[in-house]
Amino acid sequence: MAPEPPLLTMSGITKSFPGVRALDGVDLDVQAGEVHCLLGQNGAGKSTLIKVLAGAHQPDDGTIGWRGAPVTLKSPIAAMRLGIATIYQELDLVEGLSVAENVHLGHEPTSAGFVVRGKAARASTAALLKRLGHPEIDPARLVGELSAAQQQIVSMARALSHDVRLIVMDEPSAALDPDEVDNLFRIVGDLTTEGVAVVYISHRLEEIRRIGDRVTVLKDGRAVAGGLPAKSTPTSEVVALMTGRNVEYVFPDRPSTRPPGEPVLTVQGLSREGEFESLDLDLRPGEIVGLAGLVGSGRSEILETIYGARKPTAGRISVDGRPLRPGSVRAAVRAGLGLAPEERKAQALLMLESVTRNVSVSSMSRFAHGGWIDRRAERGAARAATRELSLRPDNPSVPVRTLSGGNQQKAVLARWLLRGCRVLLLDEPTRGVDVGARAELYAVIRRLADEGLAVLLVSSEVPEVLGLADRVLVLREGRVVHTAPAQELDEHRVLDLVMEGTS
Amino acid sequence: MTQPASPPRPGETLKTSPPDGIASWRTLAARADVRTLSLLGVLAALIVIGGITKPDEFLDTRNLQLVLTQASVIGVVTVGMTFVITSGGIDLSVGAIVALSSVWATTVATQEYGFAGVLFTAVLVGVGCGLVNGLLIAYGAMVPFIATLAMLASARGLALQITDGKTQIVTIDGILKLGERDSYVLGIPPLVLVFAVVTVIGWLILNRTTFGRRTVAVGGNAEAARLAGIDVRRQRLYLYLLSGLCCGIAAFLLIILSGSGQNTNGNLYELDAIAAAIIGGTLLSGGRGTITGSVLGVLIFTTITNIFALNNLQSDVQQIAKGAIIVAAVLVQRRTASTT
Amino acid sequence: MPEPTRHTSRRGLLFGTAAASAGALLVGCTSNDTKDEKPAANSQPAADDKPGKHVTIGFAGPQADHGWLNAINDNAKSRAKKYSDVTLEITEGSNDTAAQIGQIETLINKKVDVLVVLPADGKALTQVGLQAMRAGIPVINLDRIFNSPQAYRCWIGGDNYGMGLNAGHYIGEKLKDKKDARVIELAGLDNLELTKQRTQGFDAALKNYPNIKKVARQAAEFTVESGQAKMAQLLQAQSKFDALWNHDDDQGVGALRAIKQAGRDDFLMVGGAGALSAFQAIDADNSVLKATVLYPPTMAASAIDLARALGQGKGIGGLAEFEIPASLTLYSAVVDKDNVKQYMATGFK
Repeated sequence: MAPEPPLLTMSGITKSFPGVRALDGVDLDVQAGEVHCLLGQNGAGKSTLIKVLAGAHQPDDGTIGWRGAPVTLKSPIAAMRLGIATIYQELDLVEGLSVAENVHLGHEPTSAGFVVRGKAARASTAALLKRLGHPEIDPARLVGELSAAQQQIVSMARALSHDVRLIVMDEPSAALDPDEVDNLFRIVGDLTTEGVAVVYISHRLEEIRRIGDRVTVLKDGRAVAGGLPAKSTPTSEVVALMTGRNVEYVFPDRPSTRPPGEPVLTVQGLSREGEFESLDLDLRPGEIVGLAGLVGSGRSEILETIYGARKPTAGRISVDGRPLRPGSVRAAVRAGLGLAPEERKAQALLMLESVTRNVSVSSMSRFAHGGWIDRRAERGAARAATRELSLRPDNPSVPVRTLSGGNQQKAVLARWLLRGCRVLLLDEPTRGVDVGARAELYAVIRRLADEGLAVLLVSSEVPEVLGLADRVLVLREGRVVHTAPAQELDEHRVLDLVMEGTS
Repeated sequence: MTQPASPPRPGETLKTSPPDGIASWRTLAARADVRTLSLLGVLAALIVIGGITKPDEFLDTRNLQLVLTQASVIGVVTVGMTFVITSGGIDLSVGAIVALSSVWATTVATQEYGFAGVLFTAVLVGVGCGLVNGLLIAYGAMVPFIATLAMLASARGLALQITDGKTQIVTIDGILKLGERDSYVLGIPPLVLVFAVVTVIGWLILNRTTFGRRTVAVGGNAEAARLAGIDVRRQRLYLYLLSGLCCGIAAFLLIILSGSGQNTNGNLYELDAIAAAIIGGTLLSGGRGTITGSVLGVLIFTTITNIFALNNLQSDVQQIAKGAIIVAAVLVQRRTASTT
Repeated sequence: MPEPTRHTSRRGLLFGTAAASAGALLVGCTSNDTKDEKPAANSQPAADDKPGKHVTIGFAGPQADHGWLNAINDNAKSRAKKYSDVTLEITEGSNDTAAQIGQIETLINKKVDVLVVLPADGKALTQVGLQAMRAGIPVINLDRIFNSPQAYRCWIGGDNYGMGLNAGHYIGEKLKDKKDARVIELAGLDNLELTKQRTQGFDAALKNYPNIKKVARQAAEFTVESGQAKMAQLLQAQSKFDALWNHDDDQGVGALRAIKQAGRDDFLMVGGAGALSAFQAIDADNSVLKATVLYPPTMAASAIDLARALGQGKGIGGLAEFEIPASLTLYSAVVDKDNVKQYMATGFK
């Protein structure tokens, strides 16, 4: 690329945590004005690397150069002073403060050194928001009242409120709808024309192709490839670098015949005011039904209502023809429903606990005699369930927080497998799961269906719904606008359906 | 089935480098041990200090009996508190419930029903208060801090109303006898026996039963527990009931110990119990609880008080030392925790 | 818990050093019954039992969460009931300064004739005392003294230093022939100034007996529970001693319990305050408790007498002056087996 000295050079960065070498001699160079993409599976060392770059971790070894001169980033403040800003995946905003207060947190414009000049802060925040293409966000509003996408914009405004030369974005598109992603890319484009460098982390290869200049691939704490051209490197090569093997196909084959039998789950006229209306749905054993739609189309709400976590305003749900008490998770679980929720860490996992306990939590009474847990039986059953899903590592005693995203998802699936659940509700099953592990997860889901489970799948990634489901329900603004076998649909058609009339 | 893990397959997992399952399981076990060991270390250090400063008085069977007896009442309360904190809650009303139970159980009217009447009343009042706490928190959707703060105020007020500020003397011989040396079983005071039994049962419930698992699950992630099919509200109700039950038992022990009921009983037990549970290693935010740690925490505090009293140091110094120990213990724990 | 301070007695000296028991002072010498009678004195107009001008007395005290404070309320109420010419307006007891100020202001607005105030905190309630005095309502300040003498017409209260002094002298006399006698002290709540004063008095008295040494002191919290706990530790710490002074009979219940549990009876115990249970134990003479030093809650009854006298514009019997004194420090009498019967009726529960 450019012959001038790079903005940032990291070389031989090594960082160990007790028992784990997270980074093992990583090199990275970033030019001013480029979008440098960082790719790698979960646990490959991306997070550690950007934390080193943000001054949050100190490397054990290696050097960092900034505009040709060696520097030490001994604290996040030191990094910020150089002009390095980081937008983390889990946004670090204070919900109880206003937009302007969040943007200027820690460097408030003041009079006499301590009196916050609120008006000045709001004015400069408004200017930043305008520059980011979101003049509609009121700097005086509380951040907690904003949508996830708007919060992301605020987070970006905060980064830009410093004199920034390098922005690190950790999966910024994960919570965004397609048109919001477009806006994000526009902003990234603007920034790079101004000479700001962007380190962009994403799981979505197509995004990297769209905006990336160069790609560095991390695997097992090493940079296995540095500075590949983002647009022209073949996907198979990138995937091979990330996984260390070639992924030939992603989605498993569908069974040739539609599974016979009576529906196990029947939903009639299900509604929740303001969220979705008159949903009808049949789900047979062995069948995977997908719900496709934009963020806000009511997908997750439908799953949670069927599962009893929300109370419907109208409609009925029955399992095996028997009506299910609405608004009761326990009734749903007893009837054989299981949910793998969208926010695994917040809604499904006991992060301090072992895999075993996470798997057995819904079936404890099976191993208990008079409340007394037979831990041997519990461990054995948990092991059998996790083995069946090839959960790694093959030791259910490890804390669940040490697992990768894909394996954490498998732990959730194992929970329902162990419970003997018959209807599996999957909400964004591959969120935060890297490419290599996705294929395996898809295969697992398909296998569970082949073994007689009924699966209801929600995903914001249309190809995932189309590739995995037998039948697809397309949602727009809380209503089913189209139902068809997956083979009869393609991504364009679905996007047309979900966006029709919205613009 | 705790056989070692099969070798990790390449290309699949998360964490790089050597620690596969077995190793990190060992570090987990080791870490749990480190926490308990550090508490045992503190206790051992205290014993050395006590033994050096007052060899005759401190290293004496009678003193061991004394320390354990003094630890029994607050110890039983702390076991209940440990459950509540593990579930992500807090019970500020324990001291007030102990006071109310102890005075209700020692009114002239109650004492007419004899030993059983006093015991039954103490336990029933404790459970009743716990029930109110539990209903308010689980089904009234009140924050535990507020609900139990309200209970603290009301129970203290009711205790004052019942006693009219007067000390109620126990006249039942069977109860008084239990606090005296003749009742010691193989040298163990009955109070200490009760404390030991409550501790063992508490440990078993927390570590070996579905109730304990649900407690941890609710504390670790209430939403996940709910979506996993656990009845979170009922669990919360039971937990405050359990805490109330422990308070009732503790009140009975206090009646035996002091031979009386007084509305000032159980003064600041809530803080002592919370402090003991926290330095023991129970997470104030919930999701992890240790009965062993809590009991060690109680013993550490009681031993400090004992050493200070034997050395004739005054209460100001005792309080300063107590504060310092809390800070030190939490700092040590943070260090062990951050090596994760 | 009572909290008078030494400097109070700048005025109190006139009477305080005379060390006459308030009861005796009020009663004069014509009666043998210490508490319940009030003969007229000589030719001066003095308050007596005969109905006179009607007097409304406002009474504000702290929350009665302790036996002694409860006895204060009881004494005030029953004394007022005795007089057909007295109406007692008694407020809900409160330990909250702001609440107590509000209650006293209400009494001022009701235009009571005389106020009797036992403040939760003497210093903090001085202003409201001044306010009452300026409104022309004389204030009887009970036990915990206001900051300014202008805030009360008359102060009446106990003598904490004297309590320690008398306890020390009693023990000193009992042990004066014993070589190397060892004494321990179970104090009350160390946060309170009165506890310090009691200890100072005790130490001062023991200085007169070179054969006696105070070997240990621990502070309890005026509660049975703390009395038991601290006494148990003291007994373990001191395998041999000759006498114990316990500041408070309420915590003494716990202390006696600990003594019984330890199976000890080789020493002499003196209590403090004057609880009924202590009097009964002294009378029965079957435990280590041989005496107790008074901090008499009957001061509330005397305060009612003083308030009535003020309201009727009279002096009190037994004194030559036309007016009641500005300050009365009560004597902390030692009650032992010889005189316990006489005090039995004043013991509080």
